[in-house]
Amino acid sequence: MLLITGGIISCSSTKDKYTDVTDIEDEFKIEKSGAQLWGEACNRCHLAPSPADYNDTDWNTISLHMRVRANLTEKEITKIETFLKSAN
Amino acid sequence: MKKLIILLLIVGFGHTSYGQTYNDFKTDSIEASKPFKPSKTQFMIRGYGHTGLNTLSSEDKTESSYVGSAFAPIFLFKHSDKLMFEAELEFVLGGNELEVGLEYADVMYILNKNMTVRAGKFLLPFGTFMERLHPAWINRLPTRPLGFGHDGIAPSSGIGVELRGAFDLGGPSLNYSVYSTNGPRLKDGSEEPEEAGMLMFQNFEDNNNSKAFGGRIGLLPFADSSTEIGFSAYSTNGAGATDTTYENVGAFLYAIDFAFVKQIPAIKGFIDIKGQYNNSDIDDATFTETHEDGDEEEYTFDNKSNSFYTQLSYRPTMASSDFLKKLELVGRYSNLNTPEGAEWEEQSDQYTFGLNYWLTWRSVIKVAYETTDSVGGHDGGGTTNGFFVHWAIGF
Repeated sequence: MLLITGGIISCSSTKDKYTDVTDIEDEFKIEKSGAQLWGEACNRCHLAPSPADYNDTDWNTISLHMRVRANLTEKEITKIETFLKSAN
Repeated sequence: MKKLIILLLIVGFGHTSYGQTYNDFKTDSIEASKPFKPSKTQFMIRGYGHTGLNTLSSEDKTESSYVGSAFAPIFLFKHSDKLMFEAELEFVLGGNELEVGLEYADVMYILNKNMTVRAGKFLLPFGTFMERLHPAWINRLPTRPLGFGHDGIAPSSGIGVELRGAFDLGGPSLNYSVYSTNGPRLKDGSEEPEEAGMLMFQNFEDNNNSKAFGGRIGLLPFADSSTEIGFSAYSTNGAGATDTTYENVGAFLYAIDFAFVKQIPAIKGFIDIKGQYNNSDIDDATFTETHEDGDEEEYTFDNKSNSFYTQLSYRPTMASSDFLKKLELVGRYSNLNTPEGAEWEEQSDQYTFGLNYWLTWRSVIKVAYETTDSVGGHDGGGTTNGFFVHWAIGF
């Protein structure tokens, strides 16, 4: 019984340690938010646009245009577009 | 009578029921509350316009004009999430005429997450100024740096095909572009003797079979994307017309560009530094100059040119005053050197200082002072001072 209990405790503590390590790894893999990319990528050429100036449909078209024009990665423009749609 | 009353009740009830069905508020309400569903194909007009006052004074004359009223609509046709057609027209009032230009018109298709293909007339990624920064509502000053635009040494657009894309390097990122276009035409002096040896990049119908090839690599070395360094090249084996002595006159151009844009809390604002160096090396050729007395003289020169600009702007975006937040200070130094011995020989230095007031993120009033010292050039050289007040708006 003690062995079983000890095994359970040991498994639990191992899992906790694993979770802690995973959290640390995630911390190092924190990616930029859409808002952060919006500020960085747009301001490289012009002032960052107001999300409210266009609706979701317009942002679809503008995002495709700017993805090519500004040579943004697919991930960057997807995040920026999602942010603009959520904030307009 | 009883049957008549029953019949009237049936007809009346039935009519009421029919009427209620026809005007079913509940059903109508559901129809009205359906969410708007956009079509797969979308069309949009964007663009920009600007107008202003230019005052230019040299040693012997002063000119002052309200200028501009330029209108540049951009048409975007989104056919699907991967396919788009884009075009920009440019209407400019100049020399008492309306000039209409097609700045670009190309079709683009997203091949995969790292590659897009474009075909048609497109802005060339030769450095960053002409492709990204020249529109009036983006350019922080009312004028362009030396070396760009009319009679500039840097190409701005071309007709051809291009592959471009970007890679995420896990913090840093890299973007690239490779293209082939009709290439430039070499001015042989037959139409404009004073411009013999100059490249003309507007080559709508190729004057020979030698295409131009070029590309740009841009590296953003830091995770915050604040800094970008780019290298561009543009080359052709022949710029002269077929079956002329200039057919095999080639050219090699390159550019180095730099950008740093970042909000710095210590100075409570945005710092924006831009710069680009252009170098043009055209094969030597012999041209003919006709003197006033009819005599002809052959001449040649080392056909190398270069230009450079660097620009610093500062916006106090973290200032406590709303008025100060909308201001921007700009300073730019620009330089142009064209070949010694050419009819278009010129050495110019230019300083421009500006104060901008941003009404919105895409509407700006620009006030600037510019002084240019030239040796040679179209006007023979000297010092020219300019004062500009422009209003640019993007839409």
